[in-house]
Amino acid sequence: MLRIVNGRVHDPSHGVGGEVRDIYIQDGRIVSGEGLDPAQARDMETLDAAGCAVLPGGVDIHSHIAGAKVNSGRIMCPEDHYGHVRAATDVTRPGCGLIVPSTYETGYLYSQLGYTTVFEAAVPPIEARHAHEELMDIPMLDTGCFAVMGNNYLVMKVLNDPDPVRRRERLRGLVPWLLRASRAFAVKVVNPGGVEDWKWNAGAADLDTPTPPFGVTPRQIVTGLAEAVDSLGLPHPMHLHCNHLGDPGNVETTLATMETLSGHRTHFTHLQYHAYGRTKKGGFTSGAARLAEYLDAHPEFTCDVGQIVFGNTLTMTSDAPMEFKLHKMRGAKWGNCDIEMEGGSGLVPVRYAPKVLVNAIQWAVGLELLLLIKNPWQVFLTTDHPNAGPFTAYPEIIRLLMDADYRRSWLEKLHPRVRRRTVLFDLDREYDLDEIAVITRAGTARRLGLSSKGHLGAGADADVAVYPILSDKAAMFSRPRFVLKQGELVVRDGQIVAERTGRTLCVAPEGYRQLPEDLAETFAGCYTVKLANYMVEDEYLRRPEVVPCG
Amino acid sequence: MGEARNRADLIIYWGCNPVETHMRHLSRYSSLAKGLYTPEGRKGRKVVAIDIRPTPTTKGADLFLQVKPGNTFEIASVLRALLRGERLEEEAVAAVAGVPLASWREVAEAIKACRYGVLFFGLGVTQCRGSDINVEQVGLLIQDANVHTRFYGLAMRGHGNVNGSNQVMTWLTGYPMSVNFSHGFAQFNPGEFSVLPMLARGEPDAALIVATDPGAHLPADAVRHLRSIPTVAIDPHKNQTTPWATVVIPVAPSGVAAAGTFYRMDNVPLRVRKLIESPYPSDEEVLAAMKERIDHALRA
Repeated sequence: MLRIVNGRVHDPSHGVGGEVRDIYIQDGRIVSGEGLDPAQARDMETLDAAGCAVLPGGVDIHSHIAGAKVNSGRIMCPEDHYGHVRAATDVTRPGCGLIVPSTYETGYLYSQLGYTTVFEAAVPPIEARHAHEELMDIPMLDTGCFAVMGNNYLVMKVLNDPDPVRRRERLRGLVPWLLRASRAFAVKVVNPGGVEDWKWNAGAADLDTPTPPFGVTPRQIVTGLAEAVDSLGLPHPMHLHCNHLGDPGNVETTLATMETLSGHRTHFTHLQYHAYGRTKKGGFTSGAARLAEYLDAHPEFTCDVGQIVFGNTLTMTSDAPMEFKLHKMRGAKWGNCDIEMEGGSGLVPVRYAPKVLVNAIQWAVGLELLLLIKNPWQVFLTTDHPNAGPFTAYPEIIRLLMDADYRRSWLEKLHPRVRRRTVLFDLDREYDLDEIAVITRAGTARRLGLSSKGHLGAGADADVAVYPILSDKAAMFSRPRFVLKQGELVVRDGQIVAERTGRTLCVAPEGYRQLPEDLAETFAGCYTVKLANYMVEDEYLRRPEVVPCG
Repeated sequence: MGEARNRADLIIYWGCNPVETHMRHLSRYSSLAKGLYTPEGRKGRKVVAIDIRPTPTTKGADLFLQVKPGNTFEIASVLRALLRGERLEEEAVAAVAGVPLASWREVAEAIKACRYGVLFFGLGVTQCRGSDINVEQVGLLIQDANVHTRFYGLAMRGHGNVNGSNQVMTWLTGYPMSVNFSHGFAQFNPGEFSVLPMLARGEPDAALIVATDPGAHLPADAVRHLRSIPTVAIDPHKNQTTPWATVVIPVAPSGVAAAGTFYRMDNVPLRVRKLIESPYPSDEEVLAAMKERIDHALRA
């Protein structure tokens, strides 16, 4: 047994808000200290957390850390790796990179921030084997991945069925089959219909633009998949990247999507990129207030922000047409992959600069969402790593949320017109440690349906992060005193002291065990891979853990 | 390659000869394949070939441009200029790589007119003088083509699963090849840390050779240095390296007597299976055992 003593515990799931409590750990789980013989407690291994905040380990709901596009990003950006190098030590392997770190480095860097669980946000089923090979090589973290389905040919074929009962039934069979094929944890939808449209060189998709070849609309795709996810009781709701990412005025599309999905549990990802109003001349303004108001009235919805971090980064997404547009706009290098039958992906390096008005507005919009949405259980901290910036910026963003004076000090560094286009600098709200615990672990774990993560109650996984309480919150969250993974001390004073292998989280809802004949025939005729070679084998899962469906 | 099969109405083979080097490529993925939106197969596609000599691949093309060797950069540049609508003076640019401008116009017009075009390029593009700037210019050509239509480029990789080693090396070190660990972390510098310059400098004093055949593929000087140092070759087959390697460890061939992952040249990962028993261990087992012994020796 092991105990963490004298620390101020922030466990919002149990309403514990900074009281000094001791945490007891046995066999990788939190256990109750009640009834323990004091002598026995004194003899056990003890970590002194005096002057520290004790939080559950961080849970990242949306990040790009493994798989084909991430690895292509590494190849594309050697310039990112040169300046960020970790030499081999007795406990760590060498690694490099900050924007797209190598796999081991990704695990170490997350762990050094107190994170213990991270989800890879976009994996096309045909490339899932690759994502799992990389996840197996990311230590320190429990991981899982989301399977992209919003431009999948088989999904659209089923959605095209005019008989609503049969359509629902077949989608309820197909979605679990795709999740099983890719050993994924959740259903991801990226620019529904829009990626397929671009394969036909057609323009950007609106909610009611018919998608070739069937004419199914993005509205039909999102409602169909949201219904299927709901009826299957998947632990995590549909994880949606809306249409028109990055366009001025796209808040209208986002609101229309929300109206369509109202009543269905939905997670709107990197909402910052979908929260722009438009000036008369076509410029950007903030649309965050309208989205915040909508979320306040719709508890079935959650979002993560995708907060902009100023500096260089690499955008990578399954939203291939958006990347091509960005490439043309910036003249930057561009990578693209059209993924057979299932979607696409693209890569473009960018630099977000505070004096560039659009970037300044994007930066403000993310913070506005975090500050305007009243319930912290509905909005989560992400940078859509590495799209809006690297996850290593989380401590800096936490400081911006917890310290209004610091936030205001940024105004002079930004393009002067940001004041007129956003409301950020009229907001005085400051997050407290409990709210930070919600948006970085308790809330994300609950929304992912992980009952043993994001809290410190008896039975929880003993994933714990202990931070020294400092007035500079960026310093506080960038160097944890202790991090425990499954009850083992892995980080001490910000340094990795042991390497641990995490688990792969997946789901096993009831659905097609085999594709029905017509879909199998389509598969055989159109994929270049045989059906028998498509499903990811058990060999690609590292310590798999099936999270039950509700 | 799936979308090439399903969608491409224009296919360009440039500096490659898949009919002889990638035998199933044409029927499964490119010009001869029938796919989702290409039910007519070859009939529904226009095929262009660019090469320095006629090959079985160029014979099957609708349009063959026989070019002078060493002109990849010039060819990509003239096609880019035409796609971008730059004014070219016929007198100044009467021919590029020995092919009249009119033929290049025909290729550029075919690119503009297609619905979904794919360029497959091979060693003829990547291995001529000034290699990386050629490939960069070809990449920019593909970008320019996408302003007009959807257009795709794919390198015709040789050898089984060479992409797999690039992928694994990249996620472990950040770099696909030419990685040097001598300082305790990964350093990347092709031209300095790639095999030939290392051997030319006579730097390596021992070599572990896994699933490749330097005796057959490297220049004589490089092989001479390899033969002068201790070498361990891990390979399922007898080849031009195994006769002189200091130690040869025979292994079970992947996909026949050992399972594993192959990365197709378009990055699709495939599981290969073990079909028969072999008296030999897999290369993975051999490397793991070697690593364990090295770790043990380091601890001692």
